[in-house]
Amino acid sequence: MTTPQDTTPGVPPTKERPEDIRAVPVRHPGRWVAIACIAVLAAMFLHAMITNSVLHWDVVGQVFTYPTVIQGMEKTLLLTLCAMVLGIVGGVLLAVMRLSRNPVLSGVSWLYIWVFRGTPVLVQLFFWNFMGAIFPKVGLGIPFGPTWVSWNYNDLVPLFMVCVLGLGLNEAAYFAEIVRAGILSVDEGQAEAAASLGLTHAQTLRRIVLPQAMRVIIPPAGNETISMLKTTSLVSAIAFEELTRAGQDIGARTLYIIPSLIAVSLWYLLFTSILSVGQFYIERHYGRGTNRALPATPWQKVKSNVLTLRLRSTGNTGGTIGGSL
Amino acid sequence: MTTTLHPMVRAEQVHKSYGQLEVLKGIDLEVQPGEVFCLVGPSGSGKSTFLRCINHLEQINAGRLYVDGDLMGYRERNGKLYELKDREVALKRRDIGMVFQRFNLFPHLTAIENVMEAPVRVKGESKQAARERAEARLAQVGLADKAASYPSQLSGGQQQRVAIARALAMEPKLMLFDEPTSALDPELVGDVLDCMRELAEQGMTMIVVTHEMGFAREVGDALVFMDGGVVVESGHPREVLTNPQHERTRAFLSKVL
Repeated sequence: MTTPQDTTPGVPPTKERPEDIRAVPVRHPGRWVAIACIAVLAAMFLHAMITNSVLHWDVVGQVFTYPTVIQGMEKTLLLTLCAMVLGIVGGVLLAVMRLSRNPVLSGVSWLYIWVFRGTPVLVQLFFWNFMGAIFPKVGLGIPFGPTWVSWNYNDLVPLFMVCVLGLGLNEAAYFAEIVRAGILSVDEGQAEAAASLGLTHAQTLRRIVLPQAMRVIIPPAGNETISMLKTTSLVSAIAFEELTRAGQDIGARTLYIIPSLIAVSLWYLLFTSILSVGQFYIERHYGRGTNRALPATPWQKVKSNVLTLRLRSTGNTGGTIGGSL
Repeated sequence: MTTTLHPMVRAEQVHKSYGQLEVLKGIDLEVQPGEVFCLVGPSGSGKSTFLRCINHLEQINAGRLYVDGDLMGYRERNGKLYELKDREVALKRRDIGMVFQRFNLFPHLTAIENVMEAPVRVKGESKQAARERAEARLAQVGLADKAASYPSQLSGGQQQRVAIARALAMEPKLMLFDEPTSALDPELVGDVLDCMRELAEQGMTMIVVTHEMGFAREVGDALVFMDGGVVVESGHPREVLTNPQHERTRAFLSKVL
Protein backbone atom coordinates (compact mmCIF):
# COMPACT_ATOMS: atom_id res chain seq x y z
CA MET A 1 0.00 0.00 0.00
CA THR A 2 1.25 3.42 -0.86
CA THR A 3 0.29 6.21 1.44
CA PRO A 4 -0.79 9.56 0.01
CA GLN A 5 2.20 11.21 1.66
CA ASP A 6 4.59 9.20 -0.51
CA THR A 7 6.89 11.42 -2.50
CA THR A 8 8.15 10.01 -5.76
CA PRO A 9 11.27 11.63 -7.16
CA GLY A 10 10.36 14.22 -9.75
CA VAL A 11 6.78 14.52 -8.58
CA PRO A 12 5.98 17.58 -6.42
CA PRO A 13 4.57 16.70 -2.96
CA THR A 14 0.80 16.52 -3.00
CA LYS A 15 -1.47 18.68 -0.88
CA GLU A 16 -2.94 17.30 2.32
CA ARG A 17 -5.15 14.27 1.61
CA PRO A 18 -8.87 15.12 1.81
CA GLU A 19 -10.91 13.05 4.26
CA ASP A 20 -12.62 9.83 3.14
CA ILE A 21 -15.98 10.17 1.42
CA ARG A 22 -18.83 9.35 3.81
CA ALA A 23 -21.90 9.71 1.67
CA VAL A 24 -25.41 8.64 2.67
CA PRO A 25 -26.13 5.53 0.54
CA VAL A 26 -29.05 5.58 -1.88
CA ARG A 27 -32.20 4.39 -0.06
CA HIS A 28 -34.44 1.78 -1.65
CA PRO A 29 -37.93 2.14 -0.09
CA GLY A 30 -39.38 -0.05 -2.90
CA ARG A 31 -37.43 -3.01 -1.62
CA TRP A 32 -38.98 -2.75 1.84
CA VAL A 33 -42.47 -2.61 0.33
CA ALA A 34 -41.67 -5.68 -1.80
CA ILE A 35 -40.36 -7.55 1.22
CA ALA A 36 -43.55 -6.80 3.13
CA CYS A 37 -45.74 -8.04 0.24
CA ILE A 38 -43.72 -11.22 -0.19
CA ALA A 39 -43.76 -11.89 3.56
CA VAL A 40 -47.57 -11.66 3.66
CA LEU A 41 -47.93 -13.93 0.63
CA ALA A 42 -45.48 -16.44 2.07
CA ALA A 43 -47.32 -16.47 5.39
CA MET A 44 -50.63 -17.09 3.60
CA PHE A 45 -49.11 -19.92 1.59
CA LEU A 46 -47.53 -21.55 4.64
CA HIS A 47 -50.79 -21.27 6.57
CA ALA A 48 -52.67 -22.95 3.72
CA MET A 49 -50.06 -25.70 3.49
CA ILE A 50 -50.03 -26.48 7.20
CA THR A 51 -53.76 -26.39 7.77
CA ASN A 52 -54.66 -28.35 4.58
CA SER A 53 -55.77 -31.79 5.75
CA VAL A 54 -55.10 -33.47 2.37
CA LEU A 55 -51.34 -32.95 2.70
CA HIS A 56 -50.92 -35.08 5.85
CA TRP A 57 -47.57 -33.76 6.99
CA ASP A 58 -47.19 -36.54 9.50
CA VAL A 59 -47.41 -39.08 6.65
CA VAL A 60 -44.90 -37.06 4.60
CA GLY A 61 -42.43 -37.51 7.45
CA GLN A 62 -43.06 -41.25 7.62
CA VAL A 63 -42.73 -41.77 3.86
CA PHE A 64 -39.57 -39.66 3.79
CA THR A 65 -37.73 -42.20 5.94
CA TYR A 66 -39.61 -45.34 4.83
CA PRO A 67 -37.14 -48.18 3.99
CA THR A 68 -38.28 -48.61 0.36
CA VAL A 69 -37.99 -44.86 -0.20
CA ILE A 70 -34.48 -44.84 1.27
CA GLN A 71 -33.54 -47.76 -0.99
CA GLY A 72 -35.07 -45.98 -3.99
CA MET A 73 -33.14 -42.85 -3.09
CA GLU A 74 -29.88 -44.83 -3.00
CA LYS A 75 -30.65 -46.38 -6.39
CA THR A 76 -31.46 -42.95 -7.84
CA LEU A 77 -28.09 -41.64 -6.67
CA LEU A 78 -26.21 -44.65 -8.03
CA LEU A 79 -28.08 -44.43 -11.33
CA THR A 80 -27.33 -40.69 -11.62
CA LEU A 81 -23.65 -41.34 -10.97
CA CYS A 82 -23.32 -44.21 -13.46
CA ALA A 83 -25.34 -42.49 -16.19
CA MET A 84 -23.32 -39.27 -15.81
CA VAL A 85 -19.98 -41.13 -15.94
CA LEU A 86 -21.11 -42.89 -19.14
CA GLY A 87 -22.46 -39.61 -20.49
CA ILE A 88 -19.29 -37.61 -19.77
CA VAL A 89 -16.86 -40.23 -21.10
CA GLY A 90 -19.03 -40.82 -24.16
CA GLY A 91 -19.58 -37.10 -24.65
CA VAL A 92 -15.88 -36.22 -24.64
CA LEU A 93 -15.20 -39.06 -27.08
CA LEU A 94 -18.02 -37.97 -29.40
CA ALA A 95 -16.93 -34.32 -29.28
CA VAL A 96 -13.35 -35.19 -30.17
CA MET A 97 -14.60 -37.43 -32.98
CA ARG A 98 -16.94 -34.72 -34.22
CA LEU A 99 -14.07 -32.22 -34.45
CA SER A 100 -11.68 -34.73 -35.98
CA ARG A 101 -10.41 -34.15 -39.51
CA ASN A 102 -11.18 -37.81 -40.15
CA PRO A 103 -14.51 -37.75 -42.05
CA VAL A 104 -15.42 -41.26 -40.90
CA LEU A 105 -15.10 -40.35 -37.21
CA SER A 106 -16.92 -37.04 -37.52
CA GLY A 107 -19.64 -38.67 -39.61
CA VAL A 108 -20.24 -41.43 -37.08
CA SER A 109 -20.35 -38.89 -34.28
CA TRP A 110 -22.79 -36.70 -36.19
CA LEU A 111 -25.08 -39.68 -36.82
CA TYR A 112 -24.99 -40.73 -33.17
CA ILE A 113 -25.86 -37.25 -31.93
CA TRP A 114 -28.58 -36.93 -34.56
CA VAL A 115 -30.27 -40.16 -33.45
CA PHE A 116 -29.88 -39.84 -29.67
CA ARG A 117 -30.71 -36.16 -29.46
CA GLY A 118 -33.52 -36.47 -31.96
CA THR A 119 -35.62 -39.03 -30.08
CA PRO A 120 -37.16 -38.74 -26.59
CA VAL A 121 -35.14 -40.32 -23.82
CA LEU A 122 -38.24 -42.13 -22.56
CA VAL A 123 -38.66 -43.81 -25.95
CA GLN A 124 -34.97 -44.76 -25.89
CA LEU A 125 -35.45 -46.32 -22.44
CA PHE A 126 -38.34 -48.39 -23.79
CA PHE A 127 -36.16 -49.53 -26.68
CA TRP A 128 -33.33 -50.64 -24.39
CA ASN A 129 -35.89 -52.39 -22.22
CA PHE A 130 -37.52 -54.26 -25.09
CA MET A 131 -34.27 -54.97 -26.92
CA GLY A 132 -34.57 -58.50 -25.57
CA ALA A 133 -37.66 -58.95 -27.72
CA ILE A 134 -35.88 -57.70 -30.85
CA PHE A 135 -32.59 -59.53 -30.22
CA PRO A 136 -33.30 -62.32 -27.70
CA LYS A 137 -29.76 -63.65 -28.04
CA VAL A 138 -26.48 -61.78 -28.26
CA GLY A 139 -23.58 -63.74 -29.69
CA LEU A 140 -19.92 -63.52 -30.61
CA GLY A 141 -18.74 -64.98 -33.87
CA ILE A 142 -18.05 -64.30 -37.53
CA PRO A 143 -20.46 -61.82 -39.09
CA PHE A 144 -23.08 -63.73 -41.09
CA GLY A 145 -21.16 -66.91 -40.16
CA PRO A 146 -21.08 -69.26 -37.20
CA THR A 147 -21.59 -68.03 -33.63
CA TRP A 148 -19.18 -69.21 -30.93
CA VAL A 149 -20.82 -67.98 -27.73
CA SER A 150 -24.20 -66.41 -27.10
CA TRP A 151 -26.08 -64.96 -24.15
CA ASN A 152 -29.68 -64.09 -23.41
CA TYR A 153 -30.09 -60.32 -23.72
CA ASN A 154 -32.05 -60.17 -20.48
CA ASP A 155 -29.32 -62.01 -18.55
CA LEU A 156 -26.56 -59.97 -20.13
CA VAL A 157 -28.23 -56.62 -19.48
CA PRO A 158 -30.14 -56.50 -16.16
CA LEU A 159 -32.73 -53.77 -15.56
CA PHE A 160 -30.24 -51.47 -13.82
CA MET A 161 -27.91 -51.66 -16.85
CA VAL A 162 -30.84 -50.93 -19.15
CA CYS A 163 -31.43 -47.73 -17.19
CA VAL A 164 -27.75 -46.75 -17.22
CA LEU A 165 -27.49 -47.39 -20.96
CA GLY A 166 -30.69 -45.54 -21.78
CA LEU A 167 -29.89 -42.46 -19.73
CA GLY A 168 -26.11 -42.47 -20.24
CA LEU A 169 -26.07 -42.91 -24.00
CA ASN A 170 -28.65 -40.15 -24.36
CA GLU A 171 -26.66 -37.90 -22.05
CA ALA A 172 -23.51 -38.53 -24.12
CA ALA A 173 -25.15 -36.93 -27.14
CA TYR A 174 -25.95 -33.75 -25.18
CA PHE A 175 -22.64 -33.71 -23.37
CA ALA A 176 -20.78 -34.02 -26.69
CA GLU A 177 -22.23 -30.69 -27.77
CA ILE A 178 -21.18 -29.08 -24.47
CA VAL A 179 -17.61 -30.36 -24.81
CA ARG A 180 -17.51 -29.32 -28.47
CA ALA A 181 -18.54 -25.78 -27.53
CA GLY A 182 -15.85 -25.79 -24.84
CA ILE A 183 -13.14 -26.93 -27.26
CA LEU A 184 -14.19 -24.35 -29.86
CA SER A 185 -14.04 -21.61 -27.22
CA VAL A 186 -10.27 -22.04 -26.84
CA ASP A 187 -8.29 -19.57 -28.95
CA GLU A 188 -6.83 -21.05 -32.14
CA GLY A 189 -3.46 -19.52 -31.26
CA GLN A 190 -3.17 -22.05 -28.43
CA ALA A 191 -3.24 -25.01 -30.80
CA GLU A 192 -0.87 -23.20 -33.17
CA ALA A 193 1.61 -22.50 -30.39
CA ALA A 194 1.44 -26.13 -29.29
CA ALA A 195 1.90 -27.34 -32.86
CA SER A 196 4.87 -25.04 -33.38
CA LEU A 197 6.54 -26.67 -30.36
CA GLY A 198 6.19 -30.09 -31.94
CA LEU A 199 3.21 -31.42 -29.96
CA THR A 200 1.00 -33.81 -31.92
CA HIS A 201 -2.73 -33.29 -32.35
CA ALA A 202 -3.53 -35.71 -29.54
CA GLN A 203 -1.03 -34.10 -27.13
CA THR A 204 -2.31 -30.63 -27.98
CA LEU A 205 -5.87 -31.68 -27.27
CA ARG A 206 -5.09 -33.43 -23.99
CA ARG A 207 -2.52 -31.03 -22.55
CA ILE A 208 -3.48 -27.63 -23.92
CA VAL A 209 -7.01 -27.44 -25.31
CA LEU A 210 -9.13 -29.60 -22.98
CA PRO A 211 -7.83 -28.09 -19.71
CA GLN A 212 -8.73 -24.64 -21.02
CA ALA A 213 -12.09 -25.85 -22.31
CA MET A 214 -13.00 -27.00 -18.77
CA ARG A 215 -13.87 -23.47 -17.71
CA VAL A 216 -16.61 -23.40 -20.35
CA ILE A 217 -17.64 -27.04 -19.86
CA ILE A 218 -18.06 -27.09 -16.06
CA PRO A 219 -21.14 -24.84 -15.60
CA PRO A 220 -23.36 -26.69 -18.10
CA ALA A 221 -21.95 -30.01 -16.83
CA GLY A 222 -23.24 -29.15 -13.35
CA ASN A 223 -26.55 -28.27 -14.91
CA GLU A 224 -26.68 -31.60 -16.72
CA THR A 225 -25.94 -33.51 -13.50
CA ILE A 226 -28.79 -31.77 -11.69
CA SER A 227 -31.00 -32.44 -14.66
CA MET A 228 -29.95 -36.10 -14.72
CA LEU A 229 -30.82 -36.57 -11.05
CA LYS A 230 -34.41 -35.68 -11.89
CA THR A 231 -34.50 -37.41 -15.26
CA THR A 232 -33.77 -40.73 -13.54
CA SER A 233 -37.42 -40.61 -12.40
CA LEU A 234 -38.30 -41.59 -15.99
CA VAL A 235 -37.03 -45.13 -15.42
CA SER A 236 -40.01 -45.68 -13.12
CA ALA A 237 -41.83 -46.18 -16.43
CA ILE A 238 -39.86 -49.38 -17.07
CA ALA A 239 -40.50 -50.61 -13.52
CA PHE A 240 -37.12 -49.84 -12.00
CA GLU A 241 -37.57 -49.25 -8.26
CA GLU A 242 -35.98 -45.86 -7.87
CA LEU A 243 -37.10 -42.94 -5.73
CA THR A 244 -40.14 -41.79 -7.72
CA ARG A 245 -41.35 -45.36 -8.20
CA ALA A 246 -40.94 -46.07 -4.48
CA GLY A 247 -43.08 -43.02 -3.66
CA GLN A 248 -45.68 -43.97 -6.26
CA ASP A 249 -45.91 -47.49 -4.87
CA ILE A 250 -46.57 -46.26 -1.35
CA GLY A 251 -49.11 -43.77 -2.71
CA ALA A 252 -50.90 -46.49 -4.64
CA ARG A 253 -50.94 -48.85 -1.67
CA THR A 254 -51.98 -46.41 1.04
CA LEU A 255 -53.80 -43.81 -1.08
CA TYR A 256 -51.61 -41.13 0.52
CA ILE A 257 -50.63 -40.14 -3.01
CA ILE A 258 -49.84 -36.45 -2.51
CA PRO A 259 -47.91 -36.86 0.78
CA SER A 260 -45.79 -39.56 -0.87
CA LEU A 261 -45.00 -37.31 -3.80
CA ILE A 262 -44.10 -34.47 -1.45
CA ALA A 263 -41.73 -36.76 0.48
CA VAL A 264 -40.06 -37.82 -2.75
CA SER A 265 -39.80 -34.22 -3.95
CA LEU A 266 -38.09 -33.26 -0.71
CA TRP A 267 -35.41 -35.87 -1.38
CA TYR A 268 -34.86 -34.50 -4.92
CA LEU A 269 -34.74 -30.93 -3.58
CA LEU A 270 -32.18 -31.91 -0.95
CA PHE A 271 -29.83 -33.47 -3.51
CA THR A 272 -30.21 -30.77 -6.16
CA SER A 273 -29.41 -28.22 -3.45
CA ILE A 274 -26.25 -30.09 -2.51
CA LEU A 275 -25.26 -30.34 -6.18
CA SER A 276 -25.91 -26.60 -6.72
CA VAL A 277 -23.57 -25.73 -3.87
CA GLY A 278 -20.95 -28.08 -5.32
CA GLN A 279 -21.36 -26.51 -8.76
CA PHE A 280 -20.86 -23.00 -7.35
CA TYR A 281 -17.52 -23.93 -5.80
CA ILE A 282 -16.28 -25.89 -8.84
CA GLU A 283 -17.09 -22.94 -11.11
CA ARG A 284 -15.33 -20.63 -8.72
CA HIS A 285 -12.27 -22.89 -8.79
CA TYR A 286 -12.05 -22.96 -12.61
CA GLY A 287 -12.71 -19.21 -12.82
CA ARG A 288 -9.42 -18.60 -11.01
CA GLY A 289 -6.87 -16.77 -13.14
CA THR A 290 -9.49 -15.55 -15.62
CA ASN A 291 -12.10 -13.78 -13.48
CA ARG A 292 -10.74 -10.50 -12.20
CA ALA A 293 -12.82 -10.76 -9.02
CA LEU A 294 -14.17 -14.11 -7.90
CA PRO A 295 -17.86 -14.12 -6.97
CA ALA A 296 -18.37 -13.90 -3.21
CA THR A 297 -19.37 -17.08 -1.43
CA PRO A 298 -22.70 -16.92 0.39
CA TRP A 299 -20.80 -16.73 3.70
CA GLN A 300 -18.76 -13.78 2.44
CA LYS A 301 -21.96 -12.04 1.33
CA VAL A 302 -23.53 -12.45 4.77
CA LYS A 303 -20.39 -11.12 6.43
CA SER A 304 -20.24 -8.05 4.19
CA ASN A 305 -23.94 -7.31 4.69
CA VAL A 306 -23.63 -7.54 8.46
CA LEU A 307 -20.59 -5.32 8.34
CA THR A 308 -22.43 -2.72 6.26
CA LEU A 309 -25.38 -2.66 8.65
CA ARG A 310 -23.13 -2.34 11.67
CA LEU A 311 -21.15 0.50 10.09
CA ARG A 312 -24.32 2.26 9.05
CA SER A 313 -25.65 2.13 12.60
CA THR A 314 -22.49 3.86 13.81
CA GLY A 315 -22.82 6.42 11.03
CA ASN A 316 -19.73 5.26 9.17
CA THR A 317 -20.40 3.80 5.72
CA GLY A 318 -17.25 4.85 3.94
CA GLY A 319 -15.25 2.25 2.10
CA THR A 320 -17.51 -0.77 2.50
CA ILE A 321 -18.28 -2.90 -0.47
CA GLY A 322 -21.08 -5.40 -0.82
CA GLY A 323 -24.81 -5.69 -1.22
CA SER A 324 -27.08 -3.97 1.25
CA LEU A 325 -30.74 -3.18 1.51
CA MET B 1 27.70 -24.40 -34.98
CA THR B 2 28.07 -27.05 -37.63
CA THR B 3 28.67 -25.86 -41.15
CA THR B 4 25.92 -26.83 -43.53
CA LEU B 5 26.11 -26.69 -47.27
CA HIS B 6 22.44 -26.01 -47.87
CA PRO B 7 20.54 -22.89 -46.82
CA MET B 8 18.36 -23.08 -43.67
CA VAL B 9 15.28 -22.10 -45.66
CA ARG B 10 14.85 -22.13 -49.41
CA ALA B 11 11.62 -21.01 -51.05
CA GLU B 12 11.02 -21.69 -54.73
CA GLN B 13 8.02 -20.01 -56.33
CA VAL B 14 5.86 -20.40 -53.21
CA HIS B 15 2.18 -19.73 -53.87
CA LYS B 16 -0.57 -19.67 -51.27
CA SER B 17 -4.26 -18.93 -51.70
CA TYR B 18 -7.22 -18.68 -49.37
CA GLY B 19 -10.03 -19.71 -51.69
CA GLN B 20 -10.04 -17.16 -54.52
CA LEU B 21 -7.62 -14.82 -52.79
CA GLU B 22 -3.98 -15.43 -53.67
CA VAL B 23 -1.82 -14.02 -50.86
CA LEU B 24 1.57 -15.37 -51.96
CA LYS B 25 2.28 -15.06 -55.67
CA GLY B 26 5.59 -16.80 -56.13
CA ILE B 27 8.11 -16.15 -53.37
CA ASP B 28 11.76 -17.04 -54.03
CA LEU B 29 14.28 -16.56 -51.26
CA GLU B 30 17.06 -18.20 -49.29
CA VAL B 31 17.94 -17.85 -45.63
CA GLN B 32 21.47 -18.89 -44.70
CA PRO B 33 22.37 -20.53 -41.38
CA GLY B 34 23.18 -17.99 -38.67
CA GLU B 35 21.49 -15.20 -40.56
CA VAL B 36 18.98 -12.69 -39.15
CA PHE B 37 16.52 -12.37 -41.98
CA CYS B 38 13.97 -9.53 -41.79
CA LEU B 39 10.65 -9.55 -43.62
CA VAL B 40 9.05 -6.10 -43.89
CA GLY B 41 6.11 -4.73 -45.77
CA PRO B 42 2.61 -3.31 -45.35
CA SER B 43 -0.07 -5.41 -43.62
CA GLY B 44 -1.69 -7.82 -46.02
CA SER B 45 1.51 -8.19 -48.01
CA GLY B 46 1.72 -11.88 -47.10
CA LYS B 47 4.80 -11.80 -44.86
CA SER B 48 3.09 -13.42 -41.85
CA THR B 49 1.46 -16.01 -44.10
CA PHE B 50 4.87 -16.86 -45.57
CA LEU B 51 6.30 -17.26 -42.08
CA ARG B 52 3.47 -19.63 -41.13
CA CYS B 53 4.09 -21.67 -44.27
CA ILE B 54 7.67 -22.30 -43.16
CA ASN B 55 6.58 -24.42 -40.18
CA HIS B 56 3.58 -25.77 -42.06
CA LEU B 57 0.91 -24.03 -39.98
CA GLU B 58 -0.34 -23.09 -43.45
CA GLN B 59 0.00 -25.37 -46.45
CA ILE B 60 1.31 -23.93 -49.68
CA ASN B 61 -0.54 -24.48 -52.95
CA ALA B 62 2.37 -24.43 -55.38
CA GLY B 63 6.16 -24.26 -55.35
CA ARG B 64 8.62 -25.84 -52.97
CA LEU B 65 9.64 -24.88 -49.45
CA TYR B 66 12.75 -26.50 -47.97
CA VAL B 67 13.76 -26.21 -44.32
CA ASP B 68 17.25 -27.43 -43.42
CA GLY B 69 17.42 -29.27 -46.72
CA ASP B 70 14.13 -31.15 -46.30
CA LEU B 71 10.87 -30.44 -48.05
CA MET B 72 8.41 -29.09 -45.47
CA GLY B 73 5.22 -31.07 -44.97
CA TYR B 74 5.75 -33.48 -47.87
CA ARG B 75 7.98 -36.26 -49.10
CA GLU B 76 8.98 -36.23 -52.73
CA ARG B 77 9.56 -39.55 -54.44
CA ASN B 78 9.83 -40.13 -58.20
CA GLY B 79 8.49 -36.67 -58.88
CA LYS B 80 5.40 -37.29 -56.76
CA LEU B 81 4.52 -35.53 -53.47
CA TYR B 82 3.28 -37.49 -50.49
CA GLU B 83 1.75 -35.70 -47.47
CA LEU B 84 3.58 -36.31 -44.21
CA LYS B 85 1.71 -37.77 -41.24
CA ASP B 86 0.78 -35.58 -38.28
CA ARG B 87 3.56 -37.19 -36.24
CA GLU B 88 6.18 -36.57 -38.95
CA VAL B 89 5.22 -32.91 -39.30
CA ALA B 90 5.39 -32.57 -35.50
CA LEU B 91 8.88 -34.07 -35.60
CA LYS B 92 10.03 -31.41 -38.08
CA ARG B 93 8.44 -28.59 -36.12
CA ARG B 94 10.60 -29.41 -33.09
CA ASP B 95 13.52 -27.77 -34.86
CA ILE B 96 11.60 -24.59 -35.74
CA GLY B 97 10.75 -22.26 -32.86
CA MET B 98 8.00 -19.71 -33.33
CA VAL B 99 7.10 -16.52 -31.46
CA PHE B 100 3.68 -15.05 -32.07
CA GLN B 101 2.39 -11.51 -32.14
CA ARG B 102 -0.13 -12.28 -29.39
CA PHE B 103 2.31 -14.43 -27.36
CA ASN B 104 -0.06 -17.45 -27.20
CA LEU B 105 1.28 -18.56 -23.83
CA PHE B 106 -0.71 -21.38 -22.25
CA PRO B 107 -2.80 -19.48 -19.67
CA HIS B 108 -3.47 -22.51 -17.45
CA LEU B 109 0.26 -23.13 -16.92
CA THR B 110 2.81 -21.06 -15.01
CA ALA B 111 5.73 -19.44 -16.82
CA ILE B 112 8.08 -22.30 -16.03
CA GLU B 113 5.46 -24.93 -16.93
CA ASN B 114 5.01 -23.18 -20.28
CA VAL B 115 8.73 -23.56 -20.92
CA MET B 116 8.86 -27.17 -19.63
CA GLU B 117 5.82 -28.47 -21.50
CA ALA B 118 7.40 -29.30 -24.86
CA PRO B 119 10.72 -30.73 -23.61
CA VAL B 120 8.81 -33.07 -21.27
CA ARG B 121 5.99 -34.08 -23.64
CA VAL B 122 7.80 -34.02 -26.97
CA LYS B 123 11.39 -34.89 -26.14
CA GLY B 124 10.55 -37.01 -23.12
CA GLU B 125 12.93 -35.20 -20.79
CA SER B 126 12.51 -35.90 -17.09
CA LYS B 127 10.60 -33.22 -15.21
CA GLN B 128 13.55 -32.57 -12.96
CA ALA B 129 15.97 -32.00 -15.85
CA ALA B 130 13.44 -29.96 -17.80
CA ARG B 131 12.76 -27.76 -14.77
CA GLU B 132 16.43 -26.99 -14.28
CA ARG B 133 16.90 -26.11 -17.92
CA ALA B 134 13.68 -24.08 -17.98
CA GLU B 135 14.97 -22.08 -15.02
CA ALA B 136 18.12 -21.33 -17.00
CA ARG B 137 16.05 -20.31 -20.04
CA LEU B 138 13.94 -17.94 -17.97
CA ALA B 139 17.09 -16.47 -16.43
CA GLN B 140 18.44 -15.97 -19.94
CA VAL B 141 15.45 -13.76 -20.83
CA GLY B 142 15.68 -11.98 -17.47
CA LEU B 143 12.65 -13.57 -15.82
CA ALA B 144 14.14 -15.97 -13.28
CA ASP B 145 11.93 -14.48 -10.55
CA LYS B 146 8.70 -14.94 -12.53
CA ALA B 147 8.86 -18.73 -12.88
CA ALA B 148 5.80 -19.36 -10.73
CA SER B 149 3.66 -16.59 -12.24
CA TYR B 150 0.73 -17.29 -14.53
CA PRO B 151 0.73 -15.47 -17.89
CA SER B 152 -2.16 -13.23 -16.78
CA GLN B 153 0.06 -11.93 -13.98
CA LEU B 154 2.83 -10.85 -16.39
CA SER B 155 3.15 -7.73 -18.53
CA GLY B 156 3.05 -8.07 -22.31
CA GLY B 157 6.82 -7.74 -22.59
CA GLN B 158 7.37 -10.39 -19.92
CA GLN B 159 4.88 -12.72 -21.60
CA GLN B 160 6.68 -12.36 -24.90
CA ARG B 161 10.03 -13.13 -23.28
CA VAL B 162 8.53 -16.26 -21.69
CA ALA B 163 7.28 -17.18 -25.17
CA ILE B 164 10.83 -16.80 -26.51
CA ALA B 165 12.18 -18.96 -23.67
CA ARG B 166 9.48 -21.54 -24.42
CA ALA B 167 10.50 -21.73 -28.09
CA LEU B 168 14.21 -21.90 -27.20
CA ALA B 169 13.60 -24.79 -24.79
CA MET B 170 13.28 -27.11 -27.79
CA GLU B 171 16.75 -26.00 -28.95
CA PRO B 172 15.56 -25.13 -32.44
CA LYS B 173 17.81 -24.59 -35.44
CA LEU B 174 15.58 -21.81 -36.70
CA MET B 175 13.45 -19.20 -34.94
CA LEU B 176 10.44 -17.53 -36.54
CA PHE B 177 9.24 -14.21 -35.12
CA ASP B 178 5.81 -13.02 -36.24
CA GLU B 179 5.67 -9.30 -35.37
CA PRO B 180 6.87 -10.05 -31.83
CA THR B 181 6.64 -6.46 -30.60
CA SER B 182 3.49 -5.25 -32.37
CA ALA B 183 1.17 -6.00 -29.46
CA LEU B 184 3.41 -4.39 -26.84
CA ASP B 185 3.38 -1.01 -25.12
CA PRO B 186 6.20 1.14 -26.54
CA GLU B 187 7.93 1.05 -23.15
CA LEU B 188 8.22 -2.75 -23.24
CA VAL B 189 9.39 -3.19 -26.84
CA GLY B 190 13.05 -2.63 -25.90
CA ASP B 191 13.24 -5.62 -23.52
CA VAL B 192 12.00 -8.02 -26.18
CA LEU B 193 14.28 -6.58 -28.86
CA ASP B 194 17.27 -6.85 -26.50
CA CYS B 195 16.38 -10.47 -25.97
CA MET B 196 16.29 -11.09 -29.73
CA ARG B 197 19.53 -9.18 -30.28
CA GLU B 198 21.26 -11.42 -27.76
CA LEU B 199 19.91 -14.48 -29.52
CA ALA B 200 21.22 -13.19 -32.85
CA GLU B 201 24.66 -12.66 -31.32
CA GLN B 202 24.68 -16.31 -30.26
CA GLY B 203 24.36 -17.26 -33.91
CA MET B 204 20.70 -18.31 -34.06
CA THR B 205 19.14 -18.35 -37.51
CA MET B 206 16.15 -15.99 -37.26
CA ILE B 207 13.40 -14.94 -39.63
CA VAL B 208 11.73 -11.83 -38.26
CA VAL B 209 8.55 -10.22 -39.52
CA THR B 210 8.75 -6.75 -38.04
CA HIS B 211 7.92 -3.08 -38.28
CA GLU B 212 10.94 -2.23 -36.12
CA MET B 213 13.22 -0.76 -38.80
CA GLY B 214 15.83 0.17 -36.20
CA PHE B 215 16.16 -3.48 -35.20
CA ALA B 216 16.33 -4.57 -38.84
CA ARG B 217 19.08 -2.06 -39.57
CA GLU B 218 21.20 -2.89 -36.52
CA VAL B 219 20.75 -6.64 -36.20
CA GLY B 220 19.56 -7.83 -39.61
CA ASP B 221 21.86 -9.54 -42.11
CA ALA B 222 19.32 -9.60 -44.91
CA LEU B 223 16.03 -7.87 -45.56
CA VAL B 224 13.17 -8.53 -47.92
CA PHE B 225 10.46 -6.01 -48.68
CA MET B 226 7.19 -7.69 -49.63
CA ASP B 227 4.05 -6.18 -51.08
CA GLY B 228 0.98 -7.77 -52.63
CA GLY B 229 2.32 -11.30 -52.20
CA VAL B 230 5.61 -10.80 -54.05
CA VAL B 231 9.16 -9.85 -53.08
CA VAL B 232 9.60 -6.28 -54.25
CA GLU B 233 13.15 -5.68 -53.12
CA SER B 234 15.82 -7.49 -51.16
CA GLY B 235 19.34 -6.87 -49.98
CA HIS B 236 21.32 -5.84 -46.93
CA PRO B 237 19.05 -3.99 -44.48
CA ARG B 238 21.24 -0.86 -44.39
CA GLU B 239 21.21 -0.59 -48.16
CA VAL B 240 17.52 -1.26 -48.67
CA LEU B 241 16.49 1.02 -45.82
CA THR B 242 18.76 3.94 -46.70
CA ASN B 243 18.75 3.63 -50.45
CA PRO B 244 15.60 1.85 -51.64
CA GLN B 245 15.60 1.18 -55.38
CA HIS B 246 11.93 0.57 -55.86
CA GLU B 247 9.22 3.25 -55.79
CA ARG B 248 6.90 1.07 -53.66
CA THR B 249 9.65 0.49 -51.08
CA ARG B 250 10.39 4.19 -50.93
CA ALA B 251 6.72 5.05 -50.35
CA PHE B 252 6.42 2.46 -47.56
CA LEU B 253 9.63 3.46 -45.80
CA SER B 254 8.75 7.15 -45.91
CA LYS B 255 5.70 6.30 -43.81
CA VAL B 256 7.28 3.99 -41.24
CA LEU B 257 10.72 5.55 -40.74
